[in-house]
Amino acid sequence: MAEADYAIELRDISKSFGSVAANKNINLNLKKGEILALLGENGSGKTTLMNMLSGIYTPDSGSIFIDGEEVVISSPDDAGKHGIGMVHQHFKLVERFTAADNIWIGKKDSGFFLKKNRYKEIEDIASRFGFDIEPAKKVANMSVSEKQTLEIVKVLCYGAKVIILDEPTAVLTIQETQKLFDVCRRMKESGHSIIIITHKLNEVMEISDRVAVLRKGEYVGTVETSATNEMELTELMVGRKVDLKINRSVMEKTKPLLEVRDLCVNSDEGSLAVDNMSFYIRGGEILGVAGIAGSGQKELCEAVVGLRKAKSGKIIHKGQNVIGKNPKEISALGIAMSFIPEDRLGMGLAPSLSVADNIILKDYSDTKGPLVDRKRARKEASDIVKMLDIVTPSVDTPVRRLSGGNVQKVLLGREIKSDPNVLITAYPVRGLDINSSYMIYDILNEQKQKGVGVLFIGEDLDVMIALCDKIMVMCHGKLQGVVHASKTSKEELGLMMTGAISLADVGGKKAGIAKDSAFTEEEWEEAADLGDIREGDS
Amino acid sequence: MNRFHLIRRSDVSIWKKLLYYLIGIVFSLLLGGVFLKSLGINPLRYYRDMATIGLIGNYYPAKSVEGLLKLFVPLLITSLALSLSFKMRFWNIGGEGEFITGAIFAAIVAFKLGDSLPGPVVILLMCIAAFISAGVIGFLTAHLRVRFNTNETLVTLMINYIMLYIIKYIGETKADWNFFLRTDSERPMFAKFPDAAIMKGIKIGSFNLLYSVIIALLIAVVVYIYLRSTKHGYEVAVVGDSVNTAKYSGINVYFITVRTVFLSAAMIGLAGAFTAASSGTISTDITNNVGWTGVIVAWLSKLSTPVICIVSLLISVLQYGCQAASASYSQIDHNFADLMQGIFLFAILAADFAVNFKVVRTGSKKDA
Amino acid sequence: MLDVITLFLFNIVIYSIPLLYATCGEIMVEKSGSLNLGVEGTMAIGAVFGFLAGCKADSLLVGVLVSFVVSAVVGSIFSLFTITLQANQNVTGLTITTIGVAVYFFVGNALGANWPYLRDCVRLNKSFSQIELPGLSRIPVIGKAFFSHNILVYAAVVIAILIWVYFEKTSTGLKLRAIGENPGAADSLGIDIVRYKYLHIMFGSGIMGIGGLYMGLNMGGTFEGSNCWINGYGWIAIALVIFANWSTTHAIIGTFVFGFFNTLRVYNMPLATAFPNSLGWLSKIPAQFFSALPFIVTLLVLIISSIRSKKTGGSNSPTAIGVNYYREDR
Repeated sequence: MAEADYAIELRDISKSFGSVAANKNINLNLKKGEILALLGENGSGKTTLMNMLSGIYTPDSGSIFIDGEEVVISSPDDAGKHGIGMVHQHFKLVERFTAADNIWIGKKDSGFFLKKNRYKEIEDIASRFGFDIEPAKKVANMSVSEKQTLEIVKVLCYGAKVIILDEPTAVLTIQETQKLFDVCRRMKESGHSIIIITHKLNEVMEISDRVAVLRKGEYVGTVETSATNEMELTELMVGRKVDLKINRSVMEKTKPLLEVRDLCVNSDEGSLAVDNMSFYIRGGEILGVAGIAGSGQKELCEAVVGLRKAKSGKIIHKGQNVIGKNPKEISALGIAMSFIPEDRLGMGLAPSLSVADNIILKDYSDTKGPLVDRKRARKEASDIVKMLDIVTPSVDTPVRRLSGGNVQKVLLGREIKSDPNVLITAYPVRGLDINSSYMIYDILNEQKQKGVGVLFIGEDLDVMIALCDKIMVMCHGKLQGVVHASKTSKEELGLMMTGAISLADVGGKKAGIAKDSAFTEEEWEEAADLGDIREGDS
Repeated sequence: MNRFHLIRRSDVSIWKKLLYYLIGIVFSLLLGGVFLKSLGINPLRYYRDMATIGLIGNYYPAKSVEGLLKLFVPLLITSLALSLSFKMRFWNIGGEGEFITGAIFAAIVAFKLGDSLPGPVVILLMCIAAFISAGVIGFLTAHLRVRFNTNETLVTLMINYIMLYIIKYIGETKADWNFFLRTDSERPMFAKFPDAAIMKGIKIGSFNLLYSVIIALLIAVVVYIYLRSTKHGYEVAVVGDSVNTAKYSGINVYFITVRTVFLSAAMIGLAGAFTAASSGTISTDITNNVGWTGVIVAWLSKLSTPVICIVSLLISVLQYGCQAASASYSQIDHNFADLMQGIFLFAILAADFAVNFKVVRTGSKKDA
Repeated sequence: MLDVITLFLFNIVIYSIPLLYATCGEIMVEKSGSLNLGVEGTMAIGAVFGFLAGCKADSLLVGVLVSFVVSAVVGSIFSLFTITLQANQNVTGLTITTIGVAVYFFVGNALGANWPYLRDCVRLNKSFSQIELPGLSRIPVIGKAFFSHNILVYAAVVIAILIWVYFEKTSTGLKLRAIGENPGAADSLGIDIVRYKYLHIMFGSGIMGIGGLYMGLNMGGTFEGSNCWINGYGWIAIALVIFANWSTTHAIIGTFVFGFFNTLRVYNMPLATAFPNSLGWLSKIPAQFFSALPFIVTLLVLIISSIRSKKTGGSNSPTAIGVNYYREDR
């Protein structure tokens, strides 16, 4: 076999961060002119591996071959020289520069003086690759998909032969995704090799020639896309045949615990992130929230627990308006929220503080006197450690030293400890392996059986269909409808998520309004006044 | 290929850490020795004279210790105060300005009420005035930082100089309203405080242990407990570690920041009042650069309260020792202390690097 | 009366130029994403070594070169600690100031009686004296004020303009700005961040050093045991960077404004006497107020611009300033 058939070959690549092994002896190859999908769950080491190809990280051991020759890539510059370009999930763009200047700074032959006609030059190069960009537009004023296009044009301009796309579709609408795939096919035709990092199976099936699968930092195998199916890929990805039979117990439903009506919330940038949403949660049910990342989930969570001002609308908890209450007061009502952000730390946990100190984060101030009750903290922490099987040297260990799954258990454990009646949990299994994920699902189910109303914001539709009682779908901050999990399908949810169909207003019946609301319609009107007063004085 | 890259690590044992820091200190002393040698001074003898702060062969050793403590008290309080802000990643480098503010307001109380009230009351009022006035500066910078993201490093820096020129103005302007100055002198000179406004002490033989020393040590204990065991200290740790986490757990970040920086600045103001009360007057160079040195001490100590106590004592010995030693070595003056402080800090920063990072050869292979 | 104005304007220039050097140097450093609080110390070291070397060689050029090189070495120490060793920039900068001023006194005191005087250095003195620009210097009032200065004055303005051209019109300048804005982005494009930062911090520090030397020469090179030549100018420069909104051409105007305040402090009396009716009130304003004015103005600029940029994103401050870049941070 001529090795030069491969554009890239990785042999025995390993990389660890501190004591965490992100990649273990990975072997991977990329043929010339193919689209290879790199599949794996969050935290399986896909991005780390690709960052080593693009020179951001340096492998601890192993070797990289490009066109059959061994190379050392110790900086992005090296990667560029070898024709590797990467479009990162978090764009590497200078917001204050124009599109053209963002490309210009990486050009090797840019000359000492900036050319006056560089805008034209960049525009020409872009159009040669079949892209339409506005060279003088500032990146700060661009939409997400414009920025992504710019990133792709950028790596093409630098003469990349191998293009790595890291989760390119995570932030795109369905139409934009199709456009991106067209671009990929065109690039493939022109002889480029492409690696797409993703965990979305349907996209893998649609776009790729071959699929390489990583699991927990290890290489599982590569298969021809045409010779596989989603079921097989899932198996490879999660390691065992998954039947997503999460036990869904049927509970006696109580009256609505939390009712949200006509809620509008602004994003940090001041645009409307939650647009006139209405929904309710009963005790003893899990309400799933499905939607493309950034559809307003975060703002919704924050508004409910008082971390973000609601622009208008009402949030009623057990017949009591919570809008205008501060986070402490809301948490005292029994509404608990855990949010796992993309970096997994930083929202909810203080990484340098010990497990025990993190456990008492929300109720440290409930004890009498000026001192923190560390004895109680240690006791509660060791209880939670025992209950949830958290692996940690001791409760005095800084959370930063724990592995991802254990970190998330600490966070969830703290929220459960407060005995909430409404538990809001966003992406609780983000980055967890399948076993830890099941632990988390079990915990949520236990809470449900205790009569807690759970709002579960998730990513994986299969899991949501199996776990939740009802699923509400958000798209661009709007409610697309609430469906019974047992009566819906992934396809239906997918269409609602992208805004293709809406079930929010079927037959004149507005979705998300409880028939047995804690309030009569007149009382809702009164509550509306409350909301208005608050708006006026804010 | 022979390039290197860095890997963060957190697995260095305590002994190895101590070894790195020790190497750093020894290296600094050697470097200082080279400087001394270049001036024809015997480094060992100089270091010995410095470390003994002129006690050996001195007829009045008590005076030396008193002098040392006069440097130690403001430095200790300022460093402790700064560690409070730094713990929250709030770059209060306005120690100089806050110190001066405290001193000025203490002096106002001293001159206005010193003659009419009993001693302890006057001193107490001076401290309160200094505490609040300097605290207000801290409050304002913290407010600007949290509300508008104004760069607190630069704001506090500007305030340092504004306060410096205010005290210069007071000290250099002869006028009817200016009660800070001596009336019996043609040249503008700061007047002496009334007796009631002068810090008293406990006589131990010929040694006068000022109450300010005792209070400073008490403050150290309080700060230690405050940061370690109180809810306030816990909040400071959370906000310093992750503002987002603090917000998500319902902690009022604005309030915590403002409260902590207020305390930090107020304590530095208190140090100013102590200094003014113990010397019985103020001057335009009353700070003795303690606002800057405090930053170095706090950083050298890694913001640990017990270590701050030790390091600020050592730095005081260094400064006082250099002053004392300059009497016998004409080639060198107290600036040598600043030089050594800087070198020490650089050595510790370098040791930090060795503790936190590992250098690895790029592209090295595992032994197969 | 016109003489008073001419003299006044002339002195504004004298007071502004060292600030212009220091400000341009610090802008170069900050554009690379580093906040160097060591300007004062860097200038002090550049001043004392540049002056001694200049006197020894009796040549202004040697003095300038030595202060540039010595200060660049100080800049390389700042770079070593903040870039390679990942130390905190504020602390490193403050330490540089502490050490720098201490070295200044250390060297100055150590020389003692052997301290050279500017008047003994004939050639150094001569090349430092005024050069009248042909034609321009004959314009009434402002000719003498602006076009009859020593070579270092003209050089400062030229350097400020060149740096502006460098930032705005060259590819390397654009790359440097990219590093200060988003080092991660610059790094992913293969820009050698470490080299860029080292070189620009060293170059910027070198320019600060020339500013220090200028101050020393202005003071006639007499060394006093208690007062440093730089006397807080380094801190004003840091303030000026904000005032000039990180633009070296604005810095020319900015330093002139600050020089104006400084000159008022010294020349408020002559002005008040020359124009008793319109400017008589100047004599009533205390000198310390004029000294503090640069800091007050900067403080206001800082506060106003941060309130404004909260609304509009208006300030030109490099986005990544003060934050160390470590590629493998996750």
